[in-house]
Amino acid sequence: MKPRDVAPDDLDAPFWEACREHTFLVHRCTACGRAYWPFSTCLDHGSASMEWQPASGHGVVHTYTVVHHTYDPAFPPPYVVAVVQLDEGPFFHTNVVGCPVDDVHVGMRVSVIYDATDDDTVLPRFVPSKEVS
Amino acid sequence: MLAPTGEGLAAGAFAVGGLGVTEQGVRLGRPARDLQRDALERALADAGLTRADIDGYIGTSSGTFDDLRHLGLSPRFAYTMQSGGATATWSVLNAIGAIVTGQATIVACVYGSAPSAGMRRVDGTKGGFGTFAYGYPRLYGMIGAGMAHALHARRHMHRYGTTSEHLGAVAVAQRQHASVRPGTLGYQQPITLEDHQSSRMVVDPFHLLDCCRDTDGGVVVLVTSLDRARDLRSTPVRILGAGTGHNIRNWWTGDVFDLHDDIAPAKATAFGQAGIGVDDVDVAALYDPFTISVIMQLEAYGFCPPGEGGPFVASGATALGGAIPTNTGGGQLSGFYATGFTALSEALWQLRKDAGATQVPDAEVALVSGHGGNGGVQNTWAHATLVLGVDR
Repeated sequence: MKPRDVAPDDLDAPFWEACREHTFLVHRCTACGRAYWPFSTCLDHGSASMEWQPASGHGVVHTYTVVHHTYDPAFPPPYVVAVVQLDEGPFFHTNVVGCPVDDVHVGMRVSVIYDATDDDTVLPRFVPSKEVS
Repeated sequence: MLAPTGEGLAAGAFAVGGLGVTEQGVRLGRPARDLQRDALERALADAGLTRADIDGYIGTSSGTFDDLRHLGLSPRFAYTMQSGGATATWSVLNAIGAIVTGQATIVACVYGSAPSAGMRRVDGTKGGFGTFAYGYPRLYGMIGAGMAHALHARRHMHRYGTTSEHLGAVAVAQRQHASVRPGTLGYQQPITLEDHQSSRMVVDPFHLLDCCRDTDGGVVVLVTSLDRARDLRSTPVRILGAGTGHNIRNWWTGDVFDLHDDIAPAKATAFGQAGIGVDDVDVAALYDPFTISVIMQLEAYGFCPPGEGGPFVASGATALGGAIPTNTGGGQLSGFYATGFTALSEALWQLRKDAGATQVPDAEVALVSGHGGNGGVQNTWAHATLVLGVDR
């Protein structure tokens, strides 16, 4: 499954293109500096000042669920679906991997990794940060 | 932004003048359109009306459009609207709008779905309500409303210490109601907290008994002026207030997962029009796809302080005779899942004194909530509130 399979159009294509280069972008208003994800229009400044800009790739687990039911054979349980609050501010839905599912908790520091799922799709996922949290 | 006023609604000039509810169950083997037809005929019989009296039609069922041949109706307008679980409330509001603007005198709000054997979706795939997915989270295996609501439940547990046992108290209380109401999924099947705790984990923190089940069934409500409703065969139920809120506001502020929906403005508008406070509500019919929804809505509507919804339910506050009898037909969790029409029909039954073994004595004011739409990011986008009252 590719991003375009679940998106209505190509507004977020720059983000997914950058993932192939292992760069995590946010959509930022250069007038006020507020970061958004996905493609957004600034609440205060409209669309004129919006740019895709590199982000840190770090964040914190805001909330999560451990899935124990098979909804799709491509996702064998258990697995974690989490909402990471990026250090730049926006929420990002993702998987937390690289640790037992029971280790995931609200407030956990996490950092992006890039998983190539096929020849032209790279999905950003998150792992526990190595930095002291 | 200017605040909406809703003066016409505040005058209490509109009512539900007919209600039709079909059998509700899992794998009934009946097509959705047959359930719609059945519910419509029951509503007409309830009101003492004929098809020719229905001059407005609002469809509310997922995936259907405006072909009315199976219903035999000849209205001046017909359209289908979709706001997930808020659609029932929205259909009532749209019906009032049509009457106010002179488009109709009696509007049929029609629901009928058969999800339990899998519905055909626009994209050609089939599945129940619980397997819808939207947008990029699907790439990470986020499928169905359970995961979306679990994200809110986890935040509530983190912030307030809400436990799985608190969630279980909701399931047990509502099953108790359903167990004495014939026609519900939970009829004659009470459960214990131990049953809840030992049911399999689906999406942590939700056990199986934290989740509702897709139900096949139809519901039709007939909306008209209060004057007209008073001339009908059925007991009119007045529409005293209505309000809406949208979770995009909380998305922008970062509060979306800490709240259930954007309930504050919905409540303020609806309660303001009705001229009531939370203490005036005799019975609550809250949209409850998952147990956490009841806890967080009881808090948001002010029946208990923020964070205390779990202990509040565990104390028996939502049972008959409690502080606020809630989801007295078992709700969606244990009654039946007619999307937003579960709560609406139960509130109507309560105010018509048709709620059988779980009738709240002297119920005069009922709260109805609905939420829905795009469950693939957070629980839902839309929230809608109705305040209904007896015609005194």
